[in-house]
Amino acid sequence: MSRVLRLAVLAGCVASGAPLSAQEYPATAPGPTPLTPANLPPLQEAMLANGLRLILIESHEQPLLSLVLTLPAGTVYDPAGKEGVAEMVAGLLTRGAGDRSADELNAAIENVGGSLSASTGPDFLTIQADVLSTEAALAFELVGDVTLRPAFALGELEVLRRQATADLQNELSEPAAVGARVLALGLYGTHPYGRRATPQGISAIARTDLLSFHAAHVRPGGSLLVIAGDLTLPRAKQLAESTFGKWAGTAPAPLFPKPPVHTRTETILVHRPGAPRSIILIGNLTFTSTDTTYLATLVASHLLAGGKDSRLARSLGHQHRWADNPESSITRPRGEGAFEVSADVPTEATDSALHEILLQRRRIGTEPVPAPELEAARNALAGSFPLGIQTVSQLAAAVAEARALGLPATDLRMYRSRLSAVSALQVVKAARRSLRADSNLIVVVGDGSRIYAALTHLGPVRLVSTEGNPLTPADLVVRKGPVDLDLSQLQPRTDSLIVLLQGRAAGTEVTKLEKTAMGYRYIDESRITGFVQQTTEIDLDARAAMRRVTQTGKMQGQDTRIELAYDDRRVTGSARVMSPQGPKAFAVDTLIPPGTLDDNAVQALLPAFRWSASARWELWVFSSGENRVEQMTLVVTGVGKVSVPAGEFECYQAELSGGTQRVAFYVTTAKPHRLVRIAIAGAPIEFVAAK
Amino acid sequence: MRRLLTMALLSASFRVLPSKAQAPGPIAAQTYQLSNGLTVVLAEHHTAQVVAVDVWYDVGSRNERPGHTGMAHLFEHLMFQGSAHVGKGEHARLVERAGGEESGQTEDDITRFHETLPSNQLNLGLWLEADRMRSLAITDTTFGEQREAVKEERRLGLDNQAYTGAFLDGLYAVYDSATCFGYAHTIVGSMADLDLAGTAEAADFFRRYYAPSNARLVVVGDFDTVEAKRLIAAYFGDIPRGEVPAPIVCASDSAPGTRRKAVTDRLAALPAIARYYRIPGHDQADTPALELLSIILGQGQDSRLARRLGHEARVTVSAQSGIFTTRRGPQVFGVFAVASRGVTADSLDALLAAEIARAAGEGATEAELTRARNIHRASVVTDRQRAYDIAESLQHAATFHGSIEAVNTGLGRYESVTVEDLRRVAQRYLSAENVLVLTVLPGGTS
Repeated sequence: MSRVLRLAVLAGCVASGAPLSAQEYPATAPGPTPLTPANLPPLQEAMLANGLRLILIESHEQPLLSLVLTLPAGTVYDPAGKEGVAEMVAGLLTRGAGDRSADELNAAIENVGGSLSASTGPDFLTIQADVLSTEAALAFELVGDVTLRPAFALGELEVLRRQATADLQNELSEPAAVGARVLALGLYGTHPYGRRATPQGISAIARTDLLSFHAAHVRPGGSLLVIAGDLTLPRAKQLAESTFGKWAGTAPAPLFPKPPVHTRTETILVHRPGAPRSIILIGNLTFTSTDTTYLATLVASHLLAGGKDSRLARSLGHQHRWADNPESSITRPRGEGAFEVSADVPTEATDSALHEILLQRRRIGTEPVPAPELEAARNALAGSFPLGIQTVSQLAAAVAEARALGLPATDLRMYRSRLSAVSALQVVKAARRSLRADSNLIVVVGDGSRIYAALTHLGPVRLVSTEGNPLTPADLVVRKGPVDLDLSQLQPRTDSLIVLLQGRAAGTEVTKLEKTAMGYRYIDESRITGFVQQTTEIDLDARAAMRRVTQTGKMQGQDTRIELAYDDRRVTGSARVMSPQGPKAFAVDTLIPPGTLDDNAVQALLPAFRWSASARWELWVFSSGENRVEQMTLVVTGVGKVSVPAGEFECYQAELSGGTQRVAFYVTTAKPHRLVRIAIAGAPIEFVAAK
Repeated sequence: MRRLLTMALLSASFRVLPSKAQAPGPIAAQTYQLSNGLTVVLAEHHTAQVVAVDVWYDVGSRNERPGHTGMAHLFEHLMFQGSAHVGKGEHARLVERAGGEESGQTEDDITRFHETLPSNQLNLGLWLEADRMRSLAITDTTFGEQREAVKEERRLGLDNQAYTGAFLDGLYAVYDSATCFGYAHTIVGSMADLDLAGTAEAADFFRRYYAPSNARLVVVGDFDTVEAKRLIAAYFGDIPRGEVPAPIVCASDSAPGTRRKAVTDRLAALPAIARYYRIPGHDQADTPALELLSIILGQGQDSRLARRLGHEARVTVSAQSGIFTTRRGPQVFGVFAVASRGVTADSLDALLAAEIARAAGEGATEAELTRARNIHRASVVTDRQRAYDIAESLQHAATFHGSIEAVNTGLGRYESVTVEDLRRVAQRYLSAENVLVLTVLPGGTS
């Protein structure tokens, strides 16, 4: 320590060290001093002959360079029924281009310490490269290659498709994401801002779709290349010209249908059986990106639910303890945007919390904002702004976004001073217009059987399933019982499935159904190398009701064993299983509703379910790992072709929810029904029929 | 296996990369000391309208004594629990209201606290740091709460991710706890030690280590130096100087020969290997060569381990190497790899050892050295943009290289490394006599 101090003294100037006078030490947090003016370098602009606009933010402070190419190729241009094309194009651009494979492209940028990425939003597709400025030529070459000469290799497409499907399934198991999709669709109707990728859309995308999207939308006319950092305008122009000069054309500007006009408040309840909490989302459409009330609306949104001092944080959080982090946001695409506020509340408080949010929302547009509260909101918003534009990479992205949204060149420079000038009256006026009190769309995701009645007291409620299908109040009544099975489908047979982990074969599952004197016996042998080795035997009576389950094996090196006997009212026995906390063993003696299935038996009995495109079953399932009976729902979510090693089959896709994991089953439409694929949401594991 | 190795040979061609160096833009900073011993470093930087206030206390887990581990980290938590003029939990709230960011972090050698704020709130950042330095509130309640928070952090963090806990614990098993206790226990420490600790010990820790004479305040960004000096004098000037903490002793004995250790990890699905090599302190001459070698071996998808063992031979699902803790005392060069399905821990370790032996035998190519220099240089230059990153670079220079001047000269030490240096340090340090091999096997309840 002393060494460091000595050196510091030697290296330093003389300490200014004026002694403290006690009066100078503040007893409360010192407030902000006047804003210093923004110090952004001027924007230099040039236009290439092919219509590509070039903006340079020249800064030689560090030998760094950031390139952001913004193309009008966002998700709004996805062909109907193939939602996900734009995202897939963006994802594949950097996975092989020019004469480089995906790995070579990655090595080329990594080996100079740089980065290269592509992503997509509603309106625009963005390609960004960051390098040391000595590598300017390489950065242009790589951005040029991924833009103009992407490989769209089939192998990479399949890898990305699997990832995108798994990500989407994960997203769809999150109630907040389900609510956001329902809200967007409700607000935008047929306008493409309301559309979202679907598993069906992603599976329907072919390489030709990517090629035609790329050919039509990745065009220089109307595109924007922003460069920030250590480069001069003549050199930037020269590099841009040699990289993009021969590129030509302008992307078509299709006419989108106008978003619907909402004239009254509507409520959609997304029924999620058994949900312990409700997600409340309230939204309305606002304005296009260049609207002059944006900053006043931003302040209004911050007052309502931005940060821990907001009105909703105080009322829903501190006062009622319903929700820790209510949030509000303004989406600002090029076209019409939306205002949204959301909270995650306990089921029993759903109607009260909704009422409180609507009340606070209305107050912002009707009551004057107290001066200290207004100043605090402006300070927080203006204060965080410069933190986000410290690097050339952040600066290039911010300039590109502002320009793509059609904002004036002075937008970033004037942002803080304009924000600080927003008045109380402007906030109230903006809130009245854009945080609408009378024509909201309210989406609640929760257990309809517990909250429907209370919500109807606040206004009419439209009921839908998590898949978006209409429901009636009668559907909320919990009806569970023995599933009506088609026993003719239970014929002796053996099936082999391959276990895929992250797309790679990692094991096998062989299942066998036999007839016995008592009824049926189902034997399942699962092997995942180094992970699971398990044999399950299930005895069913002549009606295919549960009688006995024996499971033995090893999981992660630990012995597991389950022995259960079922009668119509009770399950008894013992279990030693693996849990995330390690192995656990327990005795089982649980009362069960009639018709309860063991969780190991669901797969065995699926072929005997009475399948149709709109089938839905409510099941009682005994989960031996959890030692409890769970209410589960099995719903057919679609019909389509499924390709597995055993061949291509037309299948019902059905989702089982209510347990710890959502599972998708694919059962052939042709009889005898056969299970050909199982996928677990949020996990990179699937089972596919081998032969 | 034979087919995979053939593939590896076929695809081993490697392109020579451009090798152009350009010096990073210099950082202009000045340093001085208050009469109470607080070292101050100021660097005006007006690119963005932000300031970073960054305080490093010269205390870390290395200062802890047997039976009292985990205190430095627990203390970092206590620093956010209020002081004479700042209520409990109010620190974060005040920074959020200003639109800023804050953080705290404990390392082996130092503990850091930082705020990035809009530049018109420099006063807030300085005042928040001064108030907790002069008057931290330590109560039985906050102490008990933060002790539980630390346990929860361990449960949700390290104990909840496969391999992380085992690999991290291994880093602290390299040096002998009898001769080098400071580097022979983890930062998070022993929960049993924490259970025995109380507020009296915390108050003693504060008096001993959280004095201005044991701290350095670095301010970087859009401010006026005269005004900053005035505020610093007013806020920090009368905090009493502390005593000089006892020196830390770490006798890094000579290589004890290959040591092996095996643990189980209940969250692990596949076996894994960590190889830890003893290397000297950060300011020693061989550090740049060792750092570049760690990039060549195991950083990035085009590193040797990722390319040869991962992509080509497919014996690992992930592999990396690095010097994971920066210390004034002896450090550790670590190589970590998780086996692919069907590959045993022993065969993975043999392949890792062979790769490391190759670095000491054949050495590295000029192209690999250029790649490593490029990656290192780009990260140094990239860290000269954000005010907080610049502040951290200055703290690093002063603490680990003895002078803030090193911030502008440090890169030169890396530019002059040769392939011969790489081979020499590989031979000298990455030897079978100097390694601790940790095998992590799935299962158990570790």
